[in-house]
Amino acid sequence: MVSTENYILPAKIVGLIFSLSLIFFDVGDSYSSIIFILIMLTIGIPHGSVDHIIAFINPNSRRFSSRFSFFSIYLVLIALNILVWVLSPFLGLFIFLLVSCYHFGETQVIGYNSTDNRLLNFVIGANILLSLFLNNIFELQEILVDFTFFSSLNLSSFENIFFLLISVAVLMMSVVYFDIRRKVPLYAELSILYLIFYHTDILTSFSIFFGFSHSLPMLLMEYQEMKEKSFFRFYLKTLPFTLLAVVFGLVLYYFNNNILTTDNLILFVFIIISSLTLPHVFIMKDFVNDK
Amino acid sequence: MNTLNFILGASLAPGDFTGFTFFIGSVSMLAATVFFLVQHGQVDKKFKDSMLVAALITGIAAVHYYYMRDQWAEGLGSPTELRYIDWILTVPLMVVEFALLTGVGMGKLFLASVVMLVTGYLGESGLAPVLPADLGWGLIAGLAYFWMAYEVGCLTLVGGPTGETGAALAKAGGKIPEAGKMLQRFVLVGWAIYPIGYMMGTDGWYSGLVAGIPFNMDVVYNIGDAINKIGFGMAVWYAAK
Repeated sequence: MVSTENYILPAKIVGLIFSLSLIFFDVGDSYSSIIFILIMLTIGIPHGSVDHIIAFINPNSRRFSSRFSFFSIYLVLIALNILVWVLSPFLGLFIFLLVSCYHFGETQVIGYNSTDNRLLNFVIGANILLSLFLNNIFELQEILVDFTFFSSLNLSSFENIFFLLISVAVLMMSVVYFDIRRKVPLYAELSILYLIFYHTDILTSFSIFFGFSHSLPMLLMEYQEMKEKSFFRFYLKTLPFTLLAVVFGLVLYYFNNNILTTDNLILFVFIIISSLTLPHVFIMKDFVNDK
Repeated sequence: MNTLNFILGASLAPGDFTGFTFFIGSVSMLAATVFFLVQHGQVDKKFKDSMLVAALITGIAAVHYYYMRDQWAEGLGSPTELRYIDWILTVPLMVVEFALLTGVGMGKLFLASVVMLVTGYLGESGLAPVLPADLGWGLIAGLAYFWMAYEVGCLTLVGGPTGETGAALAKAGGKIPEAGKMLQRFVLVGWAIYPIGYMMGTDGWYSGLVAGIPFNMDVVYNIGDAINKIGFGMAVWYAAK
């Protein structure tokens, strides 16, 4: 049997080579939207498009009596999330961050520790998002312009390097505090990730992390779990719900394009991602339980 | 050659010794990274993490030296910011090599490097004038460095005491004690260039004294960095092979 680690490492090395190429050839932020869209369509969304299969084949996550109950709960969670964003964007963002911290951290620790320590999962995910935001904080202020308490903060006296230092220091203290089986490799991988966050813009940083550190390893683990004859056959199974997710995004865009501007488009994209992420997190929590 | 020029960006001026040391730094770190990665597959399982960390240290440095060379060649001056990014990411990784070889002391070493880096940066950047750069932040950073040096047993080289990690290093099996001595020399002697550079770069120490000396601190950092980082990895490889 092929171990989980054997799938994770190649995926991350592909991401590292891709990221270093972007930095090395000084691609800058002119291609960030294209990189984001390509990664989301080919890796990001597909990794969540087989939840309806994973939820029924994984012995640890057979919590649904029927496919009807699965899809009902899944869609209700998506609708609830959108409702929260509409009623209170602040609460929507807060919930998205909490859920993302846990979800990203949980998959990040695979190969370095068991996923049983929920606080560790959350803290590692929080570290990653903290670094992503801190290393691109001036850009983030422009994106979150509607959150005036944050966007109006005067950070002009601080250099970018100060925020890198803070994120590395917090990471070191987190790694020291927790009992982790392979502490140093986890710290080393996150250091490389922070380097990428520092040198690329926020959208490219997120795309690289989400695509190659999170989604691609998960996609390969799902392929392993589903025992399909070839990766191509497995990938075909991800397509229907990938297309459905894209249609869902386009429908939301169509009904909201009168209020969307170039400034809040990224925020809008994040709302769609958060809506798709919420139910996916619960499925993945059970899926990674024994990894 | 055109392709090479595209990759290298700006060209170094003939006779630019400082720029040349940036170039040498970049390619030597890259070569060391490839070497450590190749050796990663050859060493015993218990040393694999150490070899990987050695490769990451030189890999991170290679990327930043490539940029530093470019910045220097374009006439944008000393690349202090890029140097700090490199140090912030690689110093903790170098420090944990001791813990990887011995299995003890990681918490203290991480804590000491956090204190050293944060207070050193606060002093040099002038962000927190609540303490003076020299006998305030500089002193704290220096104490953190000596705490680290004590912990890993560097002071035993001059007949001083040792911390938990240094003691474990001396008692370890195989070639680890010998490699440990090399690592301790790197920390005690090689790392001395960093506080010297800090003192030269901040007011209150020797900044007035060095102002009149036509000497570029970048050359010292570039050569010192290459020796320290590659040497660190080579010492670990020596223990592992």
